[in-house]
Amino acid sequence: MSQDRLNVDGIMLFEQPFARVPYENYRKVFRSSQKNIEKELGAVQNAAKDLANKERPEDDVEATAKALDGMIARVEGLKRKLSDMQESAGKPTLDVMRERLQHLGAIEILESPNVPEFTRWADVRLDRWLVDWSLRNGKEKTARMIAAEKGIEVRSHHACVHCMASRPLARDIIKKIVDIDLFSDIRRIEDALNRKSCTEALAWCSENKAALRKLKNTLEFDLRLQEYIELARAGKTVEAMAYSKKHLLPWQETHFYQIVQAAALLCYRPSTSCGPYKRLYDPSRWTMLIQSFRLAIYHLSTLPTEPLLHLAMYAGLASLKLPACYNHETRNVDCPVCNSDLGVLAKEVPFSHHVNSTIVCRSTGKIMDADNMPMAMPNGQVYSKEVFDHMAAKNGGWVFDPRNPADRCRYTELRKVFIS
Amino acid sequence: MEGPLKELTKLEKLTFGTTSTKGKSPSIDQSLDALLDSLRNAKERFQAGMGSQGILESLAKTVEEKKKEVDDRQKEVYNALAKFGKALDKKFANSLPSYDPLFASPEAKGALERTIAVHFLRTGQFDTAQTFISESDIDVDPEMRAQFMTLHRIMLSLRNGNVIPALQWAHYNDDFLEDRPSSLKFHLHRFEYLRQLLSPHADIAAAINYARTNFPDFYPHHGAEIGRLMNCVTYLPLSRFMKSPYADLANPSIHSELERMFATEYCASLGMSRQAPLRVISDIGGGGALARIEKGRKVMRERKSEWSQANELPIEIPLPQENRYHSVFACPVSKEQSTEANPPMMMTCGHVITKESLQKLSKPGGRVKCPYCPMESNIQTALRVYF
Repeated sequence: MSQDRLNVDGIMLFEQPFARVPYENYRKVFRSSQKNIEKELGAVQNAAKDLANKERPEDDVEATAKALDGMIARVEGLKRKLSDMQESAGKPTLDVMRERLQHLGAIEILESPNVPEFTRWADVRLDRWLVDWSLRNGKEKTARMIAAEKGIEVRSHHACVHCMASRPLARDIIKKIVDIDLFSDIRRIEDALNRKSCTEALAWCSENKAALRKLKNTLEFDLRLQEYIELARAGKTVEAMAYSKKHLLPWQETHFYQIVQAAALLCYRPSTSCGPYKRLYDPSRWTMLIQSFRLAIYHLSTLPTEPLLHLAMYAGLASLKLPACYNHETRNVDCPVCNSDLGVLAKEVPFSHHVNSTIVCRSTGKIMDADNMPMAMPNGQVYSKEVFDHMAAKNGGWVFDPRNPADRCRYTELRKVFIS
Repeated sequence: MEGPLKELTKLEKLTFGTTSTKGKSPSIDQSLDALLDSLRNAKERFQAGMGSQGILESLAKTVEEKKKEVDDRQKEVYNALAKFGKALDKKFANSLPSYDPLFASPEAKGALERTIAVHFLRTGQFDTAQTFISESDIDVDPEMRAQFMTLHRIMLSLRNGNVIPALQWAHYNDDFLEDRPSSLKFHLHRFEYLRQLLSPHADIAAAINYARTNFPDFYPHHGAEIGRLMNCVTYLPLSRFMKSPYADLANPSIHSELERMFATEYCASLGMSRQAPLRVISDIGGGGALARIEKGRKVMRERKSEWSQANELPIEIPLPQENRYHSVFACPVSKEQSTEANPPMMMTCGHVITKESLQKLSKPGGRVKCPYCPMESNIQTALRVYF
């Protein structure tokens, strides 16, 4: 049952977001460069066509030169813009991608999980998960601290051309191991929603309009509806009606019923006790909006909705959990599930499943086998031979139950236990 | 990772450096520079009084040409990006499962935060632990914090080759180590002796003197090893030593093993687990367990079998021996796991089966023939065993 080969596929299951997020970021950079090119060169093309259609342009040298100057300025501006984008966003994103792929690639050549290289790699992995967890739970200082204390090691553990560069700032490192900008964005927009402002979230929706439409995500409608509800709450009926016409009606194909309900809302006061309208006025809609926003941005960024740490812990706890972990008699301090805090968390996961017997000595924690037989005392308590040998040597042939020293017998009364 | 890295290199070559000449079409910078030249040139000619409609017509053509060049280049980048995306898809074919929110109850939240705080302390990240605690609603026992600080202080000394703090601790906890039984003290002395013996300007006489003072106590249990330690002196200096049968004594892994051994004994003496628990479960979960669980789930779904998540995993997750913390007894007859109601019973011959199997095998009068050996015994003499 021992695991002497590294399960690379199993490990990589967790790494898809780590590899994909910078890729999505680069696609954004590319799209934005494309937009700039279309806008600026499109304008230059039109200007050139206009000039070419002009009759006798040499008669008005000044106007022609001015038009040409405008075109030159546009092309120069575009050139500067593209080079800035490449320097400040394009190249750093590609660097992050390379660094991450190399970091992941470093374990592909390892033979077993029992080599120090893997231990160090797994140290960094747990740090990454803890940073991800901290950022998702609003503990930004902790996240930065982990990166500052440990992040530098990420770079020295694997061959990487950037290692030669001067010692990087903590912020740089944290970017390479976790997508802090993304989480700062999430934080900023969530804070705004907490302040009951939809503006930031709506701006995000319009930036990602195409992607949201592709996912059939209706966050934008929910936000618009909320702004409408707030107008209704404030008694601004006229504004609310205008708002509905402008921002809700475009959704009538998919949200007709809700739009009708929203119109009826104007007849009710915020203090209404009428079910559906009470629910619309309910401030807990804001919490729901935060949730929907989180799900949408995680989805769009290819991040899992649960922190990676939770997923790893779920699987790890389930692999270990046994009824014995919850029995005082069979508790083992070395067992993570027997730990009181982790035991609470393990309540949420299924028990492990076993087909074969494994007998573990409750005193030494070692697996008992033919070389270190299980031995039973007359009262049925079983420990490894090693334990009893040591006791008998110390106590002139007497042995006792390590968990209950009052129970004792002669070494010769012990019986060998055979597990088939 | 070769596939994605190869595609990434291609993408970098297309985009790095504004004057890159890689790729089929000229770089965007080159195209824009050429365009600027044409524009400036046209302007100069007009200002010099040599302007004509023909110049502007050809300028419009140049603009179209350059726009097309830029578009072609962008298309190349776009294709390289798409190829890179495909390589990533191939490498990371499975996406993470989406679960309902885990550990969301206030009770679980507190337990998780305490687990993480203790993890930071346990791994010696004391400043991070402090920051984390101030950002959370939890308290950590100051005594535990002090215990971990001591552990890390001693470990740091060990790492620097100083065994004295560790030996002091071992003397202080002599009874505990004796009962374990643990050979930590011997290994600390052995380490110090080897350090003295194998250092660049070794005082061999001093090292041997150290051995004479400290080894005799351990002779009963480590006689053979002490013999080796004394004999290895004949192979000095180090260059010769490294080619001798004693070369293993100079292996740096002795160092890391000693650190691990110390941490194990130290934690055991305080009733703490051998390894950092958060690390253990995240390594198991992230080392293939989640992938296996998901595969098991998929199979169950395809077979439309029922599997209640709260109950038991549908498949066995292989665990390293060191992570088997409890006995699992599966009856060799019924294949069922033993429970309180159906406990393991040992027959006179020493073979163990569960109580229900034993009852099924018994004949009138209570005689039971062991299914694994020729011995017959009475069901009354079977002993309930506790693993």
